[in-house]
Amino acid sequence: MAYPYTHPKEVRLLSRYFGDPGARSLEGWKARGGYQALPKAFEMGRDRVIEEVKASGLRGRGGAGFPTGVKWSFMPKERTRPHYLLCNADESEPGTFKDRELLRWTPHQVIEGIAIAAYAIQAEQSYIYCRGEFFETTQVLARALEEAYEAGILGENAMGSGIRIDITIHVGAGAYICGEETGLMNSLEGRRGQPRVKPPFPAQAGYRGMPTTVNNVETLASVPYITLHGGEAYRAYGTDQSPGTKLFCVSGHVRKPGNYELPLGFPLMELIEDVCGGLREGRRLKAVIPGGSSVPILSAEECWDCLLSYEGVAKAGSQLGCASVIVMDDTTDIVKQVRRMVGFYAHESCGQCTPCREGSAWMEKILRRIEEGRGTEEDLDTLMEVAGQMEGTTICVLSDSAAAPVKSSIMKFRDEYLARIRTGERVGAA
Amino acid sequence: MSDSSGIPFNNPGWAGNTGEFQLTEAQVRGDDYVGERPKEGTHPATAATYPYMLADKDPSAPLFEGPYRERWDKIRSRYPDARSALLPTLGLAQELRGYLSPETMEEVARLLDLSPAYVRGVATFYTMYNKRPVGRFLIQVCTNISCNLCGADEVLQAFLNNTGTELGETSEDGLFTVVEAECLAACGFPTCVQINSRYYENVTPKDVPAILERLKTQGE
Ligand SMILES: Cc1cc2nc3c(=O)[nH]c(=O)nc-3n(C[C@H](O)[C@H](O)[C@H](O)COP(=O)(O)O)c2cc1C
Ligand code: SF4
Ligand code: FES
Repeated sequence: MAYPYTHPKEVRLLSRYFGDPGARSLEGWKARGGYQALPKAFEMGRDRVIEEVKASGLRGRGGAGFPTGVKWSFMPKERTRPHYLLCNADESEPGTFKDRELLRWTPHQVIEGIAIAAYAIQAEQSYIYCRGEFFETTQVLARALEEAYEAGILGENAMGSGIRIDITIHVGAGAYICGEETGLMNSLEGRRGQPRVKPPFPAQAGYRGMPTTVNNVETLASVPYITLHGGEAYRAYGTDQSPGTKLFCVSGHVRKPGNYELPLGFPLMELIEDVCGGLREGRRLKAVIPGGSSVPILSAEECWDCLLSYEGVAKAGSQLGCASVIVMDDTTDIVKQVRRMVGFYAHESCGQCTPCREGSAWMEKILRRIEEGRGTEEDLDTLMEVAGQMEGTTICVLSDSAAAPVKSSIMKFRDEYLARIRTGERVGAA
Repeated sequence: MSDSSGIPFNNPGWAGNTGEFQLTEAQVRGDDYVGERPKEGTHPATAATYPYMLADKDPSAPLFEGPYRERWDKIRSRYPDARSALLPTLGLAQELRGYLSPETMEEVARLLDLSPAYVRGVATFYTMYNKRPVGRFLIQVCTNISCNLCGADEVLQAFLNNTGTELGETSEDGLFTVVEAECLAACGFPTCVQINSRYYENVTPKDVPAILERLKTQGE
């Protein structure tokens, strides 16, 4: 068996070569069909590449799910100033571990995707903003970039097209907020990575005030397939509103955690029970966070008929986010885990907006008090109120993200909070 | 430890090292592909990516001289203005010296024609810039939700017990500093522990003594 875990129900358009060290090198990647999409893109011309990506219905994989082709078409048609493409490889949303795998197993897939996107939006210079902790990953990516330069795939005259495509790895230094696209641009400018007020939007004024597009690693990694096979072929998978495949990062209490590439719209319970080998012996499902720690928690009942598409998860009462499925069985201590998540947001808040900075810190304090058995029932009302004030009132949505686990868990697991408040009793151990 | 038995995680090391797969550590980490990387950087596109968490540091090393000057010139050439090169420049300084002292920040400021106060303001925003010296091995245990569900708190405690340190404090022999980390983007391989530039995945409390021994005898 090859690492990582795989399952027959997967459709591995992007992840087929995970666990195959031979796919890392340029030679190995070409032998597996790589670098056919970029020359095809040059032949098709910019407009048709963008049309094809629009037709595929590909939606941004960084969390917001905005249609990628539409985002590209916001870039000015005439290039009067430098355009920039920024590949967001700052992956730090708790529960999410797909971009690192894409970068370290299939670096050339990401590079080719960036090159095609850069061509389409007329960016001569692109940056890959890699999270600072990814030392091993960036070494692999760097080696692949060096090979691509040596082979003339990148540079002044990319693959003999006469078009300049330069890519540079930029290394971050440990700040979740630099994953937010305007925080990322500030960080890339050598500033504190604090988000900017929008508008202006990046396509008008982004990196250094120039037209800029920010895309997630997985989004860009999907581009070579779409370019090569067409938008229609991509739409063969997934649902009408959520076309294509998606890497599902499954973590927590399942037997076989890992990345599974499935068509969007796949049933959540089938993912847990079948693809991931189910829960441990004798355990029952308690809750699932379907899209990374920033989205509302789902109770077990809400999971039964939940389909993993953007619209399906919304219908169940949460968001697909980065498709980071965190599974919790009946050993889980919800109060503790929510406190831990809120602690993360309190730590990562950039501090610009009062509701976010103060709210996340206060919520953490109150939650800790409840966790330690010193809470009161009024604390739950206070938490709901503080969380309410944190939504829609700030520069970026980190604040809303911090509120989501608190509000949803108090609504759905109130009994567990009350038990802790009344008797100090812990429900689960984990 | 909390109940994580039944999940087939055992050997410490790297993702997939569960005894079920047939890949070597070098293959999974990519070492066999990356090879030696020269100090002066190879291509300017990648000059910022070297492992600046390497264990051997010299706090008085000259900054940006010889091969490192070459590498810095390459880094600078990839940015349209000097300020944009600030993060990679701080990274290079930390690679050489192990931490960013006020003097180091001043040198960086001079190089990029920025004010020292500005450089300090930026450096303090980012957690990976050490503002004071740390142990030879900086052990960062992820205790965020996915790892936490699988027993990260116990792993953290095991590192503290086995190094005989308090959180954030360096052991007397100067070898180990243990800190709590936020999600390291390896949530499917819990608990994830970053030690200098390496990820150790699937770590359980019982693996901790062997990991510390490996660090002492083989380095990272
Ligand atoms: C607090 C915060 C953190 C974010 N972190 C990331 C991240 O680590 N990686 C990422 O791709 N997008 C992240 N995003 C989303 C980006 O702002 C942006 O929407 C995305 O990179 C756009 O790419 P896409 O359209 O390809 O999804 C984050 C957003 C917020 C508000
Ligand atoms: S919401 Fe929070 S993280 Fe976002 S800009 Fe405001 S303070 Fe910073
Ligand atoms: S929660 Fe530990 S690596 Fe993500």
